[in-house]
Amino acid sequence: MLANQKVYISLVISAFLIFGCKPDTARLTFAVGGASNEIEFWEKIIGEFTDSTGIAVIVLRQPTDTDQRRQGLVIPLRSRQRDPDIFLMDVVWVGQFVVADWLEPLDSVIMANDIDIGNFFEPIIDQVDTYHDKLYALPVYNDCGLLYYRRDLLEKYGFRSPTTWQELIESAVSIQERERIKNPYFYGFVWQGAQYEGLICNFLEFAVSNNGGIIDSGGSMIVHTPQNIEATKLMHDIIYKYSISPPNTYTEMKEEETRLTFEKGNALYERNWPYAWGLHNGEESPVRGKVAVTVLPRANNGQHASTLGGWHIGISRFSDRRTEASMLLKFVLSYETQKNLALMLGWNPGRSDLYEDEDINASVPHLNILKKSFENAAARPTTPFYTQISDVLQKHLSAVLSGESSPDEALLKAQHEIKETLKRYHE
Amino acid sequence: MNEKRIKNILKLSGICFVLIFSLVPFIWMVIISLNERPDFLLHEGFRLTVANFVDILTMGNLHFLDYLKNSFVIASTTALISSLIGAVAAYAISRITFTGKTLLVLTVLALSMFPQICIVGYLFKFMTNLGMINTYGALILPYIAWSLPLALWIQMSYFSRIPRELDKAAQVDGASRLQTLFKIVLPIAAPGFLSTILLLFMFCFNEFLFALMLTADHKARTVPVGISLFQGLHGELPWGYIMAASVISCVPVILIALIFQRRIISGLTHGAVKQ
Amino acid sequence: MSRKIKEPVLFILPLIFFIVVFLLFPVLGTFWNSLWQDVSFIARRFIAFSNYVRLLTDGRFWQATLFTVMFALVSVFFEMVFGMITALVLNAHSRLRGALRGIALIPWAIPSVIGARIWQLIYRYDYGIANILLGKAGVGPVNWLGSPVGAFTSLVVADVWRTTPFVAIILLAGLQTVPDDMLQQAQIDGANLFQRFFKIMIPLIRPILIVAILFRTIDAIRVFDLIYVITGGGPGGATTSLSMYGYKFFLTGDFGYGSAISVILFIIAFLFALLFVRIGRLRA
Repeated sequence: MLANQKVYISLVISAFLIFGCKPDTARLTFAVGGASNEIEFWEKIIGEFTDSTGIAVIVLRQPTDTDQRRQGLVIPLRSRQRDPDIFLMDVVWVGQFVVADWLEPLDSVIMANDIDIGNFFEPIIDQVDTYHDKLYALPVYNDCGLLYYRRDLLEKYGFRSPTTWQELIESAVSIQERERIKNPYFYGFVWQGAQYEGLICNFLEFAVSNNGGIIDSGGSMIVHTPQNIEATKLMHDIIYKYSISPPNTYTEMKEEETRLTFEKGNALYERNWPYAWGLHNGEESPVRGKVAVTVLPRANNGQHASTLGGWHIGISRFSDRRTEASMLLKFVLSYETQKNLALMLGWNPGRSDLYEDEDINASVPHLNILKKSFENAAARPTTPFYTQISDVLQKHLSAVLSGESSPDEALLKAQHEIKETLKRYHE
Repeated sequence: MNEKRIKNILKLSGICFVLIFSLVPFIWMVIISLNERPDFLLHEGFRLTVANFVDILTMGNLHFLDYLKNSFVIASTTALISSLIGAVAAYAISRITFTGKTLLVLTVLALSMFPQICIVGYLFKFMTNLGMINTYGALILPYIAWSLPLALWIQMSYFSRIPRELDKAAQVDGASRLQTLFKIVLPIAAPGFLSTILLLFMFCFNEFLFALMLTADHKARTVPVGISLFQGLHGELPWGYIMAASVISCVPVILIALIFQRRIISGLTHGAVKQ
Repeated sequence: MSRKIKEPVLFILPLIFFIVVFLLFPVLGTFWNSLWQDVSFIARRFIAFSNYVRLLTDGRFWQATLFTVMFALVSVFFEMVFGMITALVLNAHSRLRGALRGIALIPWAIPSVIGARIWQLIYRYDYGIANILLGKAGVGPVNWLGSPVGAFTSLVVADVWRTTPFVAIILLAGLQTVPDDMLQQAQIDGANLFQRFFKIMIPLIRPILIVAILFRTIDAIRVFDLIYVITGGGPGGATTSLSMYGYKFFLTGDFGYGSAISVILFIIAFLFALLFVRIGRLRA
């Protein structure tokens, strides 16, 4: 009897021992994500890094969807995992990660590795990466919303590239009607309207270009304003009244869906980030050579506006490979890597000194447009509770786009909920 | 005569309904997985390819094989341990009288009704403190607890059908309780034990919310989470990959369902109906 | 004597250990957490029932509660109807019986996420098969997931597809207990097919029907996987279930509020369970 019990108990105990095993943390882990060309780029860069330093790196591939990607970092960081050691963060996460104390301050890393901060855009470093005079992250690449358009179609039908929303709508309505005869799947304008972070980025551009926005001069959040209501109504009308955006704009349209719709030749205008440029002009792209890019339209009495996006690199405070991680950080931000990033992917580098580089200017013709867009960049709030606020706003904007709620009512509710949320957390 | 015809028509249409209802969406999945593009109906029509399968099985950075391995290890370990623990407890409950027995059974049953969301937030913090997030243990331990009520329930009903005289005979021969269980009762209730293992394997193989919260990457992430987050790995929803991965992941559970359908059905009905 | 006490304890100890540590503690812990303001980035503090007070005025919470209850009622109703049809078919003597049972199990056996993915693709606006078939019939494409009613219906259909086999198998076990001679006697007495079904079969299998409804309702109330994949809770939050709503807070780091939502969800599941058991007893 005793023997039997021993067997049984030791079975239970050995089961526990098996679970106790820790995964392999011996190598440097670098979390990146995105479309396939981005992954290929990182794998190439990591290969070069390993060749020159002998440090092996695991590339952790994350989903492109921003919310899912954020979750992939928050789970290991909140539980103080040693991996990933180094990762890319969306601009809006940096503030949260700093407040949560998940990021290693980079000041000593910069000193030790001889990185010159002067080579980066100062306003972005100030707005995004610096907290209480300490540096926590650095931009790998900067993003901003752009308007892509089919040059060939505008020429064919005799339109100029639009500078106001009104011009965009007029040309889109007219061209869509005539293109539909050949192509029943053709739409005038595709953008990101699904219920996720991208919706906020798009909304911000509609709003700021109409003299609205979500932060007032005093730094507090204001969403229920006449300008914002007007902008939200425009987003709604583009889908319903003018019918130039597909009905699934608010259910399925995220970056990649809009990019592919445009790339298949099914759209005249597209709002997207700079990454789409290289893909639109890829060898297999049906719209290769027919695409042009410009700043996003504004309201008749408004300013051009572009949501500031981009991905910043930081090192986990729980990393067990900080020295290696800082070497990788330096490598990723080096002139050569950043130049490769611009040439291979068509993205705008985090370093400002690259904007003078002749090779880049030759291959990325819209660099000056990007620079201009940075000057108009609309930043999202830097509160640590941004995710909660964004979630509230997403829900109410989505209700407007699905026709369930009026812009006035939705923004009023959003305003109320945002205020409640902030009040509760700041008490 | 007339009624017999009605009955036959009803039966035939019923069979058609079951077949169409169960199989059509499933077949659609297989078709997409074997096609070059998911929107083929709008374009050039069906173009057969196995590239989706080759890709997900060979491209290391998609981690599909890791997910599959994790799922298998986690689900089978859980099924085995939970069934054993359940068997021992069920034996004690069905054979030995002790105070608080009814309370125990009722509590276990009541706990099995908890929606998973009610415990996942706490488990996340708990596993975080133990440093076990993103390990097999982070899933196996809660899965054992979560599947135990079912393991207990099914096996209790099986054991209660085995005559106690058999136990008594064994004990007269000097066997301990545990020996009686493993040498006499469990072999007779082997079908029940097998049903339990199969059902628990399926439950754990399919579980989503715990796996979503308690894992972070391919080191412990299971198939359902992998498939739900496939999104974006190749930009757009890569339907070909998603469906190919789904087809492969369905193979084990469908084989189990088809081969052991009798076992599973009896397991389910013992669990559900004997109340 | 001592052996008598020791043995059952040893036998049920592992069970109790797992249940207590990984089910009971977490449930109690969730309730305890719901009494705190427990948000990432700020200090944890005890706020008693403030999270519950906040629930009362939270429009999204009420929307989620309404959705969850409606979803459970509607989908369980259809699951019972289709489950009964399937069970009757499986119960009929036929050469295909074994194969049919296996096939009917498929939607239930495969991971729910995979089922959800299949339906997500079917509902896709631009090239989902549902819209392509409609197009062939000359009807314009429908944005299935674009309106609250459409998204609700789409989710119910997917859920009914997935869980009907489970219901069918439980009901089948009940149908098999109905003695054949009783049905034959009724037929001789002149009861037609439908009378025999409603007057004899249904009353006889009522206890099992109640069990099936109970299991399914409790399961439908915690719906998560399907919504996470197919609609993500949209459009405009119209299909956010309580599980999904609670998860959002866990994800964004408000553990206290997320826990309060979870507690309410548990209470709702419990009330439904009580209700069905009550109804079952009264009628029986």
